Amino acid sequence: MEKIIITVLGQDRPGIIAAVSQSLFEQDCNIENISQMVLQSEFAGLFVITAPEGATIEGVRESLNKALAAMNLEVQAKVLTKPQAPAAAPVVEPFLITTMGPDAKGLVARITAVLAKHGANVTNFKAVFHGGQNPDRNIMVYEVDVPADGNREALYAGLRSKAKELGLEIIIQHRDIFDAVNKI
Amino acid sequence: MYNDQELFSTLHMLRNENLDVRTVTLGVNLIDCVSHDLEVFKSNIRKKITGLAKNLVETCNQVGEKYGVQVVNKRISVSPIAVAAAPFSPGQMVEVAKTLDSIAQDVNVDFIGGFSALVEKGIANGDDSLIRAIPQALAETQRMCSSVNVASTRAGINMDAVLRMAKAIKEAAALTADSDGLACAKLCVFCNIPQDVPFMAGAYLGIGEADAVVSVGVSGPGVVKAAIDRAVQAEPDMGLGRIAEVIKLTACKVTRVGELIGREVAKTLGLPFGVVDLSLAPTPTVGDSVGEIFESLGLLKMGLPGSTAALAMLNDAVKKGGAFASSHVGGLSGAFIPVSEDLNIAQAAAEGHLNIEKLEAMTSVCSVGLDMVAIPGDVSVETLAGIIADEMAIGMINSKTTATRLIPVPGKKAGDLAEFGGLLGHAEIIEVKQAAADNLFVRRAGRIPAPIHSLKN
Repeated sequence: MEKIIITVLGQDRPGIIAAVSQSLFEQDCNIENISQMVLQSEFAGLFVITAPEGATIEGVRESLNKALAAMNLEVQAKVLTKPQAPAAAPVVEPFLITTMGPDAKGLVARITAVLAKHGANVTNFKAVFHGGQNPDRNIMVYEVDVPADGNREALYAGLRSKAKELGLEIIIQHRDIFDAVNKI
Repeated sequence: MYNDQELFSTLHMLRNENLDVRTVTLGVNLIDCVSHDLEVFKSNIRKKITGLAKNLVETCNQVGEKYGVQVVNKRISVSPIAVAAAPFSPGQMVEVAKTLDSIAQDVNVDFIGGFSALVEKGIANGDDSLIRAIPQALAETQRMCSSVNVASTRAGINMDAVLRMAKAIKEAAALTADSDGLACAKLCVFCNIPQDVPFMAGAYLGIGEADAVVSVGVSGPGVVKAAIDRAVQAEPDMGLGRIAEVIKLTACKVTRVGELIGREVAKTLGLPFGVVDLSLAPTPTVGDSVGEIFESLGLLKMGLPGSTAALAMLNDAVKKGGAFASSHVGGLSGAFIPVSEDLNIAQAAAEGHLNIEKLEAMTSVCSVGLDMVAIPGDVSVETLAGIIADEMAIGMINSKTTATRLIPVPGKKAGDLAEFGGLLGHAEIIEVKQAAADNLFVRRAGRIPAPIHSLKN
């Protein structure tokens, strides 16, 4: 059977993973990957599973909904589509881009627009906006893959000019420096 | 993704705590440039150094930008000129010095080091010419540095050389009297000089080194101070063993940053990487001081009783952290206590907490010596030679590097202010005990024999 990806959303509380995995176990499904995070007080979980012969997506979703009803969790399920294999994996260099500055609407949209324009792929992203003017309380950290054959100077210039326009301090660093300092 | 602590501590080190790569130093061997003809020699060294160093500054800037770490200084070290230019007279040596200075300007490096001689066991013809040339060479150049190794654990102390260097220092000071004896700030007298120091004024490329090699000097007293402050704030009763551990871990991180940058510069230039020298090297900037670390450790002022023990712990922890971080640690690797270059140390000296005797005691447990110490201009050659000899003895007996960078400031006395400018800073002139009569000891020719523990074979 094809792989199924299940998303579970709802207010965080003890027992969510236990309830989801118990229901999947009872349906004879095999869990391949799980990733979960809690954003403020909201739980989000991603489960990649394979279901037994004869099982349907609707059936899996319904059983989960039933099992999780008491916890007021929202469940989605879809067939995991295989990514089209590119002719050759693009050569990229990982960078960390950190911005600090006063909170405003549209910060993420404007910074990511510059990244997208230069073909830089966001592989990880964390943002904390507490509002107000304190730069240390309004921070975005983008982990991005920058094409090795791209025009890095133009990307830097674009990011710096956009950050200046938005009143943000921006720091662009190759990820290796974080590895050098933190991974021994 | 890195956790918040990893992310922000790394960013803080770079943004707020003055972590930088203090220098990337390109070592260039000049022995294959030798000639009996001065013009040919000058042309050969210009061709070789500019060929290798033409992209040094640009490469350092690019690599610095890639990692968000500033490479503050770009420098060149060369083979000891006393060897490479051995056939020449003192006047011709001055010409060589000017050529080196002009090359440094052409490739836009901050300093070029290696106007050097190794005379711990005897003075050869080239060494003699170079030592005679030092005062004029330093007075008539801006970016060239000079060092002379007069002692080693294996050879003892060449007291003839010590006396000659004391004279050279006095002459160099006199020739630059209008700038408080600035020439002496570019002149070090060494015991056990390492052949791979990337820091000035002692950098030269040893004879046993590769044809060209990139080494890196990292600093970061501000980072170490901030780490101690954070640890002590979180745990006010923290013992010294734990604080030493904090220093060690911080030194490890700083060293790894340096090695990353150095290796990438070397790779980009197509040259081998030499060593990373982690030395807590202060600048006259607030938050970039070794002296402030002493206060974080709990001493009221550097120089007060307890300072030597604190420095011993600091220097050792820095070395241990560096050695764990990189297999190619070299140079001096420890803590520097240059008086004029460190706001806090200069202040401690001005307030009378730190005298030259205490400084000398402290150099027995740290990585350099009496560094950037301004002394009265009327200090006699014999007294100066005595101070140098004492410092050399500490290095010789303890199998470690020691050095002096003393500036007898012409026309000024103890308590006056000497101003050197820029990274060299300013300092109040420290009192020196002058002998009432001639110091015959330093005038006795010859060599103090090597100590018993030099007999290792």
